[in-house]
Amino acid sequence: MKKKWKKVMGLLLMGTLVMGSIAGCGESKEKSKGASGNSEVKIAIVCDSAGQNDNGYNQSAVAGVKKAAKELGVEYKVVEPTTGVPQALETLAEDGYHLIFNLEYDFEALISGTGGSKPIAEMYPDTTFVCFNDNPNKNESGEIIHENVISVLFDVHEASFVSGVLATLVNENAETLFGTEHYKFTPVDKGGRAIGFIGGTNSNGITVFSYGFLEGINYIAKELGVHYDYYAKYDAGFSDSATGGTVAGTYYNQGANVVFSVAGSVGDGAAAKAKEEGKLAIHVDANKDAQQSGYILTSVIKNTEVPVYEIIQAAVDGKISDMDRVQSYSLASKATSITDLSEISKFVTDEGQTKWEEIKAKVSAIEKQICDGTIKVINAQNGEELDASALENVTIK
Amino acid sequence: MELIGNILYDTIYHSAPIILCVIGGIFAYKANVLNIALEGMMLNGAFVSVLVTYLTGSVTVAILAAIVTTLLFGLVFSCLGITCKGNVIVIGLGINLIVPAIADFVLKRMEIANISLQNVSVADFKLHIPLVENIPLIGKILSGHPIITYFAFIGILFFTVLMYKTKFGIYIRVVGENEDSAISLGIKTERYKYAAVLIGAFCCALAGINLSMERMAMFTNNMTAGRGFIAIAAIYCGQGNPVASALYAILFGVARALSINLSVYAGPVSGLFDIIPYIIMVTVLAVVSYTKYKNVKVRGFKLD
Repeated sequence: MKKKWKKVMGLLLMGTLVMGSIAGCGESKEKSKGASGNSEVKIAIVCDSAGQNDNGYNQSAVAGVKKAAKELGVEYKVVEPTTGVPQALETLAEDGYHLIFNLEYDFEALISGTGGSKPIAEMYPDTTFVCFNDNPNKNESGEIIHENVISVLFDVHEASFVSGVLATLVNENAETLFGTEHYKFTPVDKGGRAIGFIGGTNSNGITVFSYGFLEGINYIAKELGVHYDYYAKYDAGFSDSATGGTVAGTYYNQGANVVFSVAGSVGDGAAAKAKEEGKLAIHVDANKDAQQSGYILTSVIKNTEVPVYEIIQAAVDGKISDMDRVQSYSLASKATSITDLSEISKFVTDEGQTKWEEIKAKVSAIEKQICDGTIKVINAQNGEELDASALENVTIK
Repeated sequence: MELIGNILYDTIYHSAPIILCVIGGIFAYKANVLNIALEGMMLNGAFVSVLVTYLTGSVTVAILAAIVTTLLFGLVFSCLGITCKGNVIVIGLGINLIVPAIADFVLKRMEIANISLQNVSVADFKLHIPLVENIPLIGKILSGHPIITYFAFIGILFFTVLMYKTKFGIYIRVVGENEDSAISLGIKTERYKYAAVLIGAFCCALAGINLSMERMAMFTNNMTAGRGFIAIAAIYCGQGNPVASALYAILFGVARALSINLSVYAGPVSGLFDIIPYIIMVTVLAVVSYTKYKNVKVRGFKLD
């Protein structure tokens, strides 16, 4: 009797295992049928660990593919990998998906191959893979390794520059704009000319935001002939929101009125602190302005919808092989920007309206100048270094 | 002067949840059922308190729910580990893994990335002690913390008394030191082990509430960020003595406060302060285990 039980248990366990490996990378299957154009192109999106409901980065990529499904009639699948990105990529390529977007920062198996196996990109030459936020597809001399890999880079330094401009302009007029009832800004003449930055880790992906932001602050400070202090921490990690709260608290205590965080959940903690202190925070990746309504000045967005849709369109038109293997999305492409400021606008007092309009006009004028190339912003993603001495009106603490 | 004030205030801020976990965990440690699920239990307290406030709007209900659910995890732990004699490390690990998974699942179902309470203001939780508040420097450090933070520090004293001056505490220690003698004396050992684990669960729930609701009025997954494990290290370093273990917990608070506050002056280099407690702990643990095993008096595992 006992032996029988063991067998049954064994079978059950085996069943679970098999189910698990099948379900491993097939969480949400969404196929669109009956759309206008009927394309044969099959698209897959592999989400990063934040998942497809992150209200931003992943979600807007999914929005892009949904739009493509509706308008171009492609078939698509959204995958939240549970057994690792490489396996998801391989399974999807094996299943005959033509275009696979990989939102996770995980390229090793795709480009160079891990564990002695061939690179995934080489194993499936008919599939096009798209990587985000980095260009891993080059060898030491800078040549393209795989023809079927496209890298998408966002020029977030430009959007960060704009956010720096906005932060400084708002800081100079904080009390006029928001009043003193719910906010406790440090007056600019009493040490309020300070701005903070919290980064998750010290890498190019993070400093690119910081440098752009810094230059934006410097640009306005120079124009106004004032001097700013810049507090920065680049090792706050991405998950400990309590630390984010204290770090932001320290900056606010030092007189800063605005803190920009590029550090995942740590930034959520910083934003919560902004509400507690009655000051302002700037968020990142998605439009998170409503998270602490009234205390988040803006968010620097990576709008993945734009590149996802454009690349799918190229694939449908059969022009994907003509595309540049590195796609850079600038401020002008609208794939990266600051939010439309509608959330914070609700909190501007009646007396501050004229000033607010003035600031918004100034910000969009600067946006235009960046788009047409009049203003150049340092891009740390390309390995460009910031020369701190060139920033005359900002002291980096 | 203000810098010192800030550092000390932040020290209290960062120590409180670790101290709560420590004073909760020492009973289980003394009863010889090592509770490594402190992390998971704390996260559960943090998650449930914010979730229930978000859904019902009532802070009282939320706190009760957080405590009750964490005690349930404590019961699961004790039932499997003590009654069924399972391996407590594996069970503890299981709890540590399942809590963030549940939180993740719920957040996914709710289609949000984190829960942030719009109607709760953290300022309301802060306790301003009259008189003390007005003393320069000290007032700013001691006053203005949320209430559970004070519980943590009062708890150190309370649990010291409970462990060393009461029958309950002595029985718990006897159960841990020598279970056979305890049984021979007619002590219901399992009951005491259950009590030890549940005290731990209760304190962890408070730590979680302190971390998420009282401080930030928000929950982000994995926000405990290893504090439960730091607490376990502190318990080991302090050999289960409430005061000594709590001091190690405070050491972490000091290091964190230094690394954050000095970053304004020293830049990212101040992050090095975060390393100090780990170095001290490794050294202490090495020395402790060396001296302990020098005159071998191994207690620990018993195969039955």
